[in-house]
Amino acid sequence: MLSRKVVPFLYIAPCLLLMGIFVYYPILENFRFSFYEFSAFSPDKVFVGFENFLTLFKDEVFYIALKNNIWYAVISIIFQVFGGLVLAAILEDPITRLASSFFRTVFFLPVVISITVIALLFSFIYNPDIGLLNSLLAILGLEEWTRAWLGQSETAIFAVIAVSQWQSIGYIMMLFIIAIQAIPKELYEAADIDGAGKIRKFIYVTVPQVKEMLFVASLITLTGAFTVFNEPYILTGGGPGNASEVLGTLLYNSAFFKDQMGYASAIATVILILTLLVSLVQMKLFKTGKDG
Amino acid sequence: MKRLAIVGIFSMLFLSLITGCNSSAGTSSSNDSDTIELRFFHRWPTEPKKQYFEKAVKEFEELHPNIKIKTEAVLNDSYKEKIRVVLGSKNPPDVYFSWSGEFAYNFVRAGQALDLTEYINSDKEWSGEIIESQFKPFTLDEKTYGIPWSTDGKAFFYNKKIFNDLNLEPPATWSELIEVSEKIKEAGITPITFGSKAPWTISHYIGSLNELIVPEDVIAKDYDPNNPEGDFSHPGYVKALEKFMELEPYFNKGVNSVDHQYARELFNGGKAAIGYFQLAEIGLIEPSLGEDLGVFNTPGIEGGEGNPNSITAAPEGIMISSKTKHPEEAMEFVKFLTSKEKGTEQLKEVSEYSAVKGTTTSENASPLQEEAIDLIVNADKTYLWFDTAVDIAIVDAYLNGTQQMLDGKKTPEEVMADVQAASQKVKK
Repeated sequence: MLSRKVVPFLYIAPCLLLMGIFVYYPILENFRFSFYEFSAFSPDKVFVGFENFLTLFKDEVFYIALKNNIWYAVISIIFQVFGGLVLAAILEDPITRLASSFFRTVFFLPVVISITVIALLFSFIYNPDIGLLNSLLAILGLEEWTRAWLGQSETAIFAVIAVSQWQSIGYIMMLFIIAIQAIPKELYEAADIDGAGKIRKFIYVTVPQVKEMLFVASLITLTGAFTVFNEPYILTGGGPGNASEVLGTLLYNSAFFKDQMGYASAIATVILILTLLVSLVQMKLFKTGKDG
Repeated sequence: MKRLAIVGIFSMLFLSLITGCNSSAGTSSSNDSDTIELRFFHRWPTEPKKQYFEKAVKEFEELHPNIKIKTEAVLNDSYKEKIRVVLGSKNPPDVYFSWSGEFAYNFVRAGQALDLTEYINSDKEWSGEIIESQFKPFTLDEKTYGIPWSTDGKAFFYNKKIFNDLNLEPPATWSELIEVSEKIKEAGITPITFGSKAPWTISHYIGSLNELIVPEDVIAKDYDPNNPEGDFSHPGYVKALEKFMELEPYFNKGVNSVDHQYARELFNGGKAAIGYFQLAEIGLIEPSLGEDLGVFNTPGIEGGEGNPNSITAAPEGIMISSKTKHPEEAMEFVKFLTSKEKGTEQLKEVSEYSAVKGTTTSENASPLQEEAIDLIVNADKTYLWFDTAVDIAIVDAYLNGTQQMLDGKKTPEEVMADVQAASQKVKK
C-alpha cells in the first residue's frame, strides 16, 4: 500500500533532482553570493552583508538599466502581445485565410533564426553609412531623419527593442493562432446572427476566449523583457556609455568585465525578484486557472 | 515492489553520478597511463592562427609522444571574460595566453600564475633569444610569470595613393595631422576611419595621447593601482581627451555604432585615408592595399610633456597555471612555442611579430612590416595597451565616458571627474 503513495514521487524524483541541482541550487547559491565581495579567480570571499544591494540602489547605471527594461516591457506588451493578437485574428479571418499560411511563415521565420545572426543582420541595417534603414530614409526624402541609430544615446535602446519586436512577434502570433483555432465556431455564428461586425466579434468573442493565452503570452513577454540580454549585448554592448544598458548586460559586465562577482549576484537576485513580482501580479490580475 | 526497486536503483545511479562529479575534480586522471594531458587555452579560434596553433601542437606532440595537448580557444573580448572564470575554477588550464601588464598581474596577485623565473634563468640558451625588454610587463616584484610570445604596437597607417593624389605628406605633428585631415575631408574622402562600438579602440588613442601629453612619472604613479598618490588630476589628461576630440570631425559617421572590423574594411576598400591600427593587423591590410600602404608613428603634440618618441607597444605572452600538475612539461611546451624556429614561422604565417630576436628579416617580412617593427625597436619608451595597463574600474570609467563624449553627452572635464572618482575607489 505504501508503494501507491511513494511510487508517483519516485517517478518524478530524477526530474526533481536535476531541477534541484541545475535550477534551485544555483538560485540559492547566487542569493548567498550576493552577500559577498569576491573575484572570479581568487578563492577568498569577503562577507559584506547588504553592501552590494546598497551600492546597487545608489548606482545610477542600475536605474538606467531598469528604465530600459521597463521600456522593453511596455513596448513588447504593446507590439508583441496586442500586435500579435491582432495579426493572429486577421490571419484567421475567413477572408484572409487563403493567404494565411504564406504570411504565417513570413512572420514566424525570424523566430527560428539565431539571435546572433539577427543582431549581426541588424547591425548592417542600422549602419550609419551603408545601412538599409538610412538609405531607405534618404530615398524617401527624409534625409534629416537619418542617424547612427545604435550609436546615439537617444535612439540606441529603441533600435535594440525594435529588433526584438520584429523577431518575437511571430512566436506570440502563433500562440494566438492556436488559441483562436480552438474557439468554437458557434460563438462566431451566434455573433453573426446578432449582426456583430468584425471588430465587435474580435472584442467580444476572440479576446475573452483567448484570455488564458493572453496571460501566457504576456508572462513570456514580460519576463523576457526583464531578462533580455543577447540583443543589447550584441547590438550595442550597452553603449554608447551606458545608454542602452539593461539589467542583463549590467550583470554580465559587472561579473565578467569588472570582475565584481558579488555585485553581479546581487543584480541577478534583483532580476529574480522583479520577474517573480511581475508573474505574481499577473497571476492575480488574470486569476488564471480559476475560471476558463 | 519490483518496480520500486528499479526506481530506487535509478535514483541511486543519479545520485552517484552527481556526487561522483564532485569528488572526481579533486583526484587527477593522469595516473591511468604514462601520457600526460596538458590543457592549453588561447584566444585565436579564427584562421589563420587557429591552424597555426593546431600545427604547432601536432609538431610538439610528435616530439614528445608522452604529452597530449588539449586546446581550447575563444575570441578576444570573450577570452578576457572567460579566462578569469576558468582560472578561478578547480580545474584551470595548464598553459594559457595572457596580455601583459595589469591583465597578467591580476592573475599573479590571485596566486594563479606559476613563477617562471627559475626556468628562464636555467635555460639561457632559449630565454636569451627573447627580446629582454619584453619580459618586463610580465614581471612583478622581480619574479617573471609570463613568456612573451608576440610583440605589437599601435601606429597610424595611411593610403599613399590618396595622399599622393592630394599632394599630402605624412604628418609629423598633431596639428599637421589635423591639417592633412581637413584637406582630405575637403576632397570628399573620409580622413580617419574609426569604430568605437567596442570601446577598447578608444582606449588605444587615449593611451597614446596620455603618453605624449602627461609626464612619465605622473603616468607611472597614476596607472599603478597600489600607489595612493596617483589620482589622475594632472591637467594633461583633460588635454589628451580634447586632442582626441579634435579628430572627431574627421572620423567616419556614427563611430559608436560601428566596430573596429568595419573601420578596417573602410580603410581596406580605399574609402578612408588614415587608420589607427595594430602592427599585427598589417597582414589584414597589406593584401588589399599593397604598395599603397604607408605607416607613421603617432604624431607628437606641441606642448606635450611626455616623450614624443614613445610608442604604445606591448608583448602578449603565455603563462602557466600555479595549479598545474606538470610544470616541467608545460614549460617544455611554452619553450617550444617561443623558440626561434617557431618565431620565424609566426610572422610569415600569422603576421604576428615574435618576441624572439632576429625573427623579422627581409626574408619573411614585407618592407612595411620591417619599417613598422623599427618603430618599436627605435622608440625611447614603450607603453602598455591602456586597457591592460590600468585597473579595470578606471578603464570602465574612461571608456563609458569617452563613448558619451563622442556622442556629445559629456565634456573631457566630466569624463576625467568620473575617472578620478573610479581611481579613488580603486586606491582606497
